[in-house]
Amino acid sequence: MIKVNGLYHSYSNDENYAVKNVEFEISKGEVFGFLGPSGAGKSTTQGVLTGLLPLQKGEVEVVGYNIRHPKREMFNKIGVSFEQSNVYGKLTALENLEFYRKLFDVETMNSMDLLKWVGLDHVANKKAGEFSKGMKHRLTFIRSMLNNPELWFLDEPTTGLDPAIASQIKDIVKEKNKQGATVFLTTHNMYVADELCHRVAFIIDGEIKLIDSPRNLKLQHGEKFVVVEHLENDVIKKEQLSLIIDRDKARLNEIISTGKIEIMHTKEATLEEIFIKVTGRGLK
Amino acid sequence: MRRILNIVRRDIKSGTRDWLVIYLAGAPILLALILKMLIPSVGDSTLNVAVYEDTPPAVVTYLETYAKVIKVDDLEERVLRMDDVFGVVIDDERIEIVTQGNEMEGTVDLLKTIIGRYDQRTIDLPVEVEFTDIGWVMSPMKIEGANLMIIFNTILGGMLILLNLVEEKMSNTISAINVTPTKRKEFIVGKGLLGFVLTLYGCAAVVIILGFEGINYAMLLVSVFAISFIGAIIGFSIGVTSDEPIAAIASMKIVFVPVLASIFGAIYLPTKWIFILYWSPFYWAYDVIKDILLVQATWGQVFMNSGIILVITALVFVGLRRRIQNGLS
Repeated sequence: MIKVNGLYHSYSNDENYAVKNVEFEISKGEVFGFLGPSGAGKSTTQGVLTGLLPLQKGEVEVVGYNIRHPKREMFNKIGVSFEQSNVYGKLTALENLEFYRKLFDVETMNSMDLLKWVGLDHVANKKAGEFSKGMKHRLTFIRSMLNNPELWFLDEPTTGLDPAIASQIKDIVKEKNKQGATVFLTTHNMYVADELCHRVAFIIDGEIKLIDSPRNLKLQHGEKFVVVEHLENDVIKKEQLSLIIDRDKARLNEIISTGKIEIMHTKEATLEEIFIKVTGRGLK
Repeated sequence: MRRILNIVRRDIKSGTRDWLVIYLAGAPILLALILKMLIPSVGDSTLNVAVYEDTPPAVVTYLETYAKVIKVDDLEERVLRMDDVFGVVIDDERIEIVTQGNEMEGTVDLLKTIIGRYDQRTIDLPVEVEFTDIGWVMSPMKIEGANLMIIFNTILGGMLILLNLVEEKMSNTISAINVTPTKRKEFIVGKGLLGFVLTLYGCAAVVIILGFEGINYAMLLVSVFAISFIGAIIGFSIGVTSDEPIAAIASMKIVFVPVLASIFGAIYLPTKWIFILYWSPFYWAYDVIKDILLVQATWGQVFMNSGIILVITALVFVGLRRRIQNGLS
């Protein structure tokens, strides 16, 4: 679905690259996460892949089209949801979708059905300018689904949304993926990436540090812990013990033998912890 | 075509929500109606005569038959003002005409004829001479006012394009359109079409309200279409780089300077200095539209002036192309 080789991009047209030698491939039906902190080069990469930024150096193929000479019909196959909501404030939610729907050459989804999916059907005839930030974000999100895209670019799809709506958005992504859509997800939210992505790429300072599945990353880079809350001299004590370090294993056996355990559960390393371990930087 | 019309429909819908299109569509009608009220009748405006307070009543009465007569203390000062007013002085039974030199061609001969007839009123003529038509069929204010309004309409069209683009820039919706199959040309035509329609509609309103029924509409259409491009290009170049409407309108106002300079330059500059306006497409538009309104234009003149306008517009476009392209990305 996507092939990227030796991609470089500079906003100042010099050696000061926002992305450097980026290489990856995404197969059909895959949910690929681009994980990195703000300014890492995620949106720049997505900008080049969607044709919004010119391809300066490297080779990029998207849904079979060479991005160096993109054809407009390519956009019948892709959908793009922007990080910043961009809708017409003077038009209603329904008018916004209807306007964009008529720009495609392929069969499109029903605008009212889409509004229902994200709980905006009751405000279908309200001007988008009067919407809250979250509502605008949902409208921007469903607009990207109008043409039933084969390849779906999602830039921070859950940022700024309350947990219930974010969960709804994630469910829609899973459902569309189940129906065959390939997803390129750009995010700095490790939980979203962990939950949705088959593979993730860690990008920092414009360079991809590694690409793998969240499971493999946890197995390779993560360390398993057990968190135990137990009574010691009638006081609840909480300890985090490694299942690899011998001293911690011995301590865990000691606690178990006392039989005064209140709560005990395993704790895996999060993608964020792995990201920090691999890149030496946080995701914020 | 489907996408172009979709973009036009969106702009109309958006423009009517905040009355923008309504205001811009109403402006030419309102201005034409105001101008119509201000334009004096042909008889009032074509011959104005100033006389001294002590001018014999018989002379004044006679002159009032053909002209608007005003009595003044300082006749010379009155004649020297910008408007077309002749002075008539009675001096020992001789009548003298005082002119400033900038009066409209022909009117001085007309006044001479009228006064000559007064001098010879005691002579029996073999025929009765009647002055039923003084030759001028149209007020200069009407011609110049209509011409100015027609050219300003092209700027209004550009302003509509500009404001619709600013809306796109403010909401960053151009990016959303750029990830649909919409071609750049379709977007530009769609965004520009409403501006052209508004310009043509405004010109039609001016021509009809001010009563220019006898003109060649096809000639006017060709000329207005040519000059509309310059308004559209300026609208695009400012619109795609502005994300705030007030600043965009302020930038657009700068265009009024060459428009007014070209028109007033064409009116007031002596013929030998007219060449300094040749760079301005608005001058060429003024030149041909004036002749169209006076029903004196030829197709050769219309094509030549429109061609010059389009060449200048093309040069402006070449200069602004990069700016427009970057703004639309």
